[in-house]
Amino acid sequence: MSNAKERKHAKKMRNQPTNVTLSSGFMADRGTKHYNGGGKSFQAQKQELLPGTSRPRHTKMIHHSPVDPDVNEQSSSKIMFKKKGGWKAGPEGTSQEIPKYITASTFAQARAAEISAMLKAVTQKSSNSLVFQTLPRHMRRRAMSHNVKRLPRRLQEIAQKEAEKAVHQKKEHSKNKCHKARRCHKNRVLEFNRRQKKNIWLETHIWHAKRFHMVKKWGYCLGERPTVKSHRACYRAMTNRCLLQDLSYYCCLELKGKEEEILKALSPMCSIDTGLTFAAVHYLSGKRQGSVILYRANKYPREMLGPVTFIWKPEWTPGHTSESRQLWIWLHPTLKQDILEEIKAACQCMEPIKSTVCILEPLLTPSQEKSQTELPDERIGKKRKRKDDGENAKPVKKVIGDGTRDPHQPYSWVSPATGVIISDLTMEMNRLRLIGPLSHSILTEALKAASVHTEGEDTEKTPHHWWIETCKNPDSVSLHHKQEAIFELLGGITSPAEIPAGTILGLTVGDPRINLPQKRSRVLPNPEKCQDNEKVRQLLLEGVPVDCAHSFIWNQAICKNVTENKISDQDLNRKRSELLVPGSQLVLGPRESKIPILLIQQPGRVTGDDRRGWGSGWDVLLPKGWGMAFWIPFIYRGARVGGLKEAVMHSQYKRSPDVPGDFPDCPAGVLFAEEQAKGLLEKYKRRPPAKRPNYVKLGTLAPFCYPWEQLTQEWESRVQAQEKSPVASSPRGEESNLKREKVPCTPTPEKSDQLSDEVGMSLSSPSEPREVMDTERPAQMGTEWVTGPAATSSLLCVLRSRKSLKQLSAWCGPSSGPRWAAQRAPSSGQQALTREACLSILDRFPRALVWVSLSLLGKGSPEPHTMICVPAKEDFLQLSQDRLYCGPHESKHSDPFKSKIRKQKEKKKIEKRQNRGCTVSEGPAGAYPAAGHHALTLGLWSGPLPDVTSHCSRVLLGFVTQGDFSMAVGCGEALGFVSLTGLLDMLSGQPAAERGLVLLRAPASLQYRFARIAVEV
Amino acid sequence: MVRFKHRYLLCEVVSDDPRCRLSLEDRVLGGLVRDTIARVHGTFGAASCSIGFAVRYLNAYTGIVLLRCRKEFYQLVCSALPFITYLENKGHRYPCFLNTLHVGGTIRTCQKFLIRYNRRQLLMLLQNCTDEGEREAIQKSVTRSCLLEERSDEEQLSDSGSEEPSEAME
Repeated sequence: MSNAKERKHAKKMRNQPTNVTLSSGFMADRGTKHYNGGGKSFQAQKQELLPGTSRPRHTKMIHHSPVDPDVNEQSSSKIMFKKKGGWKAGPEGTSQEIPKYITASTFAQARAAEISAMLKAVTQKSSNSLVFQTLPRHMRRRAMSHNVKRLPRRLQEIAQKEAEKAVHQKKEHSKNKCHKARRCHKNRVLEFNRRQKKNIWLETHIWHAKRFHMVKKWGYCLGERPTVKSHRACYRAMTNRCLLQDLSYYCCLELKGKEEEILKALSPMCSIDTGLTFAAVHYLSGKRQGSVILYRANKYPREMLGPVTFIWKPEWTPGHTSESRQLWIWLHPTLKQDILEEIKAACQCMEPIKSTVCILEPLLTPSQEKSQTELPDERIGKKRKRKDDGENAKPVKKVIGDGTRDPHQPYSWVSPATGVIISDLTMEMNRLRLIGPLSHSILTEALKAASVHTEGEDTEKTPHHWWIETCKNPDSVSLHHKQEAIFELLGGITSPAEIPAGTILGLTVGDPRINLPQKRSRVLPNPEKCQDNEKVRQLLLEGVPVDCAHSFIWNQAICKNVTENKISDQDLNRKRSELLVPGSQLVLGPRESKIPILLIQQPGRVTGDDRRGWGSGWDVLLPKGWGMAFWIPFIYRGARVGGLKEAVMHSQYKRSPDVPGDFPDCPAGVLFAEEQAKGLLEKYKRRPPAKRPNYVKLGTLAPFCYPWEQLTQEWESRVQAQEKSPVASSPRGEESNLKREKVPCTPTPEKSDQLSDEVGMSLSSPSEPREVMDTERPAQMGTEWVTGPAATSSLLCVLRSRKSLKQLSAWCGPSSGPRWAAQRAPSSGQQALTREACLSILDRFPRALVWVSLSLLGKGSPEPHTMICVPAKEDFLQLSQDRLYCGPHESKHSDPFKSKIRKQKEKKKIEKRQNRGCTVSEGPAGAYPAAGHHALTLGLWSGPLPDVTSHCSRVLLGFVTQGDFSMAVGCGEALGFVSLTGLLDMLSGQPAAERGLVLLRAPASLQYRFARIAVEV
Repeated sequence: MVRFKHRYLLCEVVSDDPRCRLSLEDRVLGGLVRDTIARVHGTFGAASCSIGFAVRYLNAYTGIVLLRCRKEFYQLVCSALPFITYLENKGHRYPCFLNTLHVGGTIRTCQKFLIRYNRRQLLMLLQNCTDEGEREAIQKSVTRSCLLEERSDEEQLSDSGSEEPSEAME
């Protein structure tokens, strides 16, 4: 910074004369040597040196400047000092060399030199400003900077020169068209098509871009949050009304083939331990949407790939036999690459279908064809010229679907052995999500089931032949009526949470744009609709019957037809304007599009005890191209739109992990964490050190990243150490002893052996039954333990076994409350919290993390990266004495890096000064040697982190990944991960009444606050 | 813009002793002036003048000195200048006095005045000169200064970036 300032100053002073003193000229060794005494010689010297002396560029005004070394060498005999103002003079040595008299010529010389110096100073502009800026205010004129002729004539030439300089020149206008031409529809579409080549645009992009802060993420342009202030409004919409989201960026993978083959391929990738898998009956029939967590084949519980949802195509369809099934797997775009590769490997689908040419083409790749047909259109220049020639060109088509797709890249693969076809249907469908209780009403209001085609109407004009064909089949018609009836019933249900989770309803609807209301309004639930109570009850009990889940959206050919035969908005509006009675219902008859859609119920909050079913809603799957046609009608019925931030909020209130941020064990999650850390660090560094928290002093080792691996490792070795030395004299040992006594089972010497060898064993075979281990290998733990950390260092896992989680959640709650006990005791034969039970979990999942939710007891709203700590005994004591006790304080830490940084700075300064001493003539260009040591940042821990768990006064258990003030509960709530080992250790050490209490500490605060931990299943 | 208004005093150091020029340095001169003000106007004067006081330019060959002080108190400085009778440096004392040539509001006006003043001096020197060789030398320097003026006009046109060529021409 100071460098730049200096430079600026130097530039400003470059024309100003510097001081000229005699003493600055003499140097002891030289003055005597070159003394000539007379004025003549002085003059002669001067004449000599006048030509050819190049002026060194001083970086600064130098008063008593040491003479530049290079100049010394070059003309040691002549020049003594130089200055910028054009003043040059010869030597006048020390006192004895002072001339006894003054000659007129020297006098004249001196005057002349001074005149020239002053002239230079006066005439040349010295400031950094432009010419017109130096004019006094009253002489300034509008557009002076733009038009040279507005300046006084004496300055015009300088200004001309200035304007020609590259710096001040405006960027060349890249747009070769005028504004009006750019705004015309065709050119705009071309421009939009060009712009979505890099990042995929959703169909609602333009709508979003006008109202949202857009971010480029995961290869898409997505709306992050609305530009209006709407945090609370969005929460209210989710709770009481309806929030709409465009989730079309979610990727869809399609698996087609025999049911057994698909199940066989996918079964190693998921575990029955984590819940229902692909093979569950409800899912397999196509009645429900399932969700599952995928792992690398046979690697459970490690190497997680990510959570996905899936739908099977229902079996009953006229065209298909049960041989060939279709499975759609929906997943987040960050997970797509890994999962696609893994599924391809699992199904042995390596052959891209594109190379085996077009047998399967029609059913697979409408988008490819589309992009192929579009390609020539996008060669802008040619097309336009041809058009000018009179040849009629096709109108430019809007890019629908994935604009970034490369037509030569395969998007589907077939397995030669099993015949399973995998295809990537990303952006082939739209997925809109409606959250909230009013989503029913909005759906039933906005969508009307398609009218069945009757024989009497003329079939010639309509392009929708598939619907006519369907209507000829009485089975299909009756199915359609059945679906319609159920859809009508939905309107009478107050909340989507009442319907069984994941219910799928297929439907064919008419064009939703036709019955668009005149004004934006808000629908209200219509209580009169729910008269047919018997039927509603049946629906709620049994869910939607299997056959109603059928939809034509599964048929690619129909989807393509529907997409292509969409009436454009323009045509529709023109027809509307041609109506005889303005504002009356538009009747298109058979030409009205029939759109097959799929409604999927999204279960809201399924875990925990309170607010069950919060945030439930419906997902609407649409064929591509129809996004905006459905989007606007939904909004006109009172849906509020949310972006990515609202999606995170939704998952936070649902207490479900957010993809990909809350999956630290999958590659996408790791990547996400890295990016987040980088962003936060950048943000942190932008502030001056005094205006940002010093995390070293606050004892926060990892304010931007989550050191999960180190945490779990340390906990393991910690428990190990406790077990090993129960009688150690250290206070830690005593503490653990005390803890142990509270545990129902008494500590025995063999226990330590057990644990340690289990750890050793579990490294090799985590799923092996425990009994085997107990008997074998009693004594070789020592060596095994040493090799342990290195072997498993990269293997982080999150506990997702439902059984273990259930057990944990039972342990976490305070067992004293009679209500809780009454609830829990009969539900299952819960084990008591014993050492054995802990160990059995621990050895199955060594170094695991547990997803927990925390709610604060008192004040405080947690934020991401908040630390979860184990409370000490005295904290409980204080809490029991004073119910309002906030929590203990962390004492301030010392900052060992501060002095280091200061030293570095000083060193740098010295170097700088030295540099300047010898390289003045080089000027600012002479860069200071870059500091070799890596730069320390004030306030951040540099280098490898020390012991994270015991760095502060309370032992660290885990970190919060999402946290905020919860508007639902009215206190701070957080979600995060804790070390399983640590959690069990803590729980077993705590008295039953206070079990499950932890301390939370924000990264920028010293205050610990009490929170209750809960594991929700 | 709001700024501190200054007065610039353009002075000439007149001394019989040529060694006086040797010891003419900005720090010495600044100290001298400050001391004199303190002597003449007391502590108040010294304090009020010390704000913003600086020696902006100094030429030992011609004895030209440019002093800066705040506008409010320049009269104190002005009135103190005649009381400077000698220049003291490194134990030596050289009798001299300061001759105020010009009082200006900006450095620029002072510079402009100095150009005019020097030119007048040179012409006077030329007129009064008797020696032939000297005359020639003076003539030369006069023409050079005039030439310089023309050239600097050119320079003024050429942008600041293109200084080097004009220097080479010199």
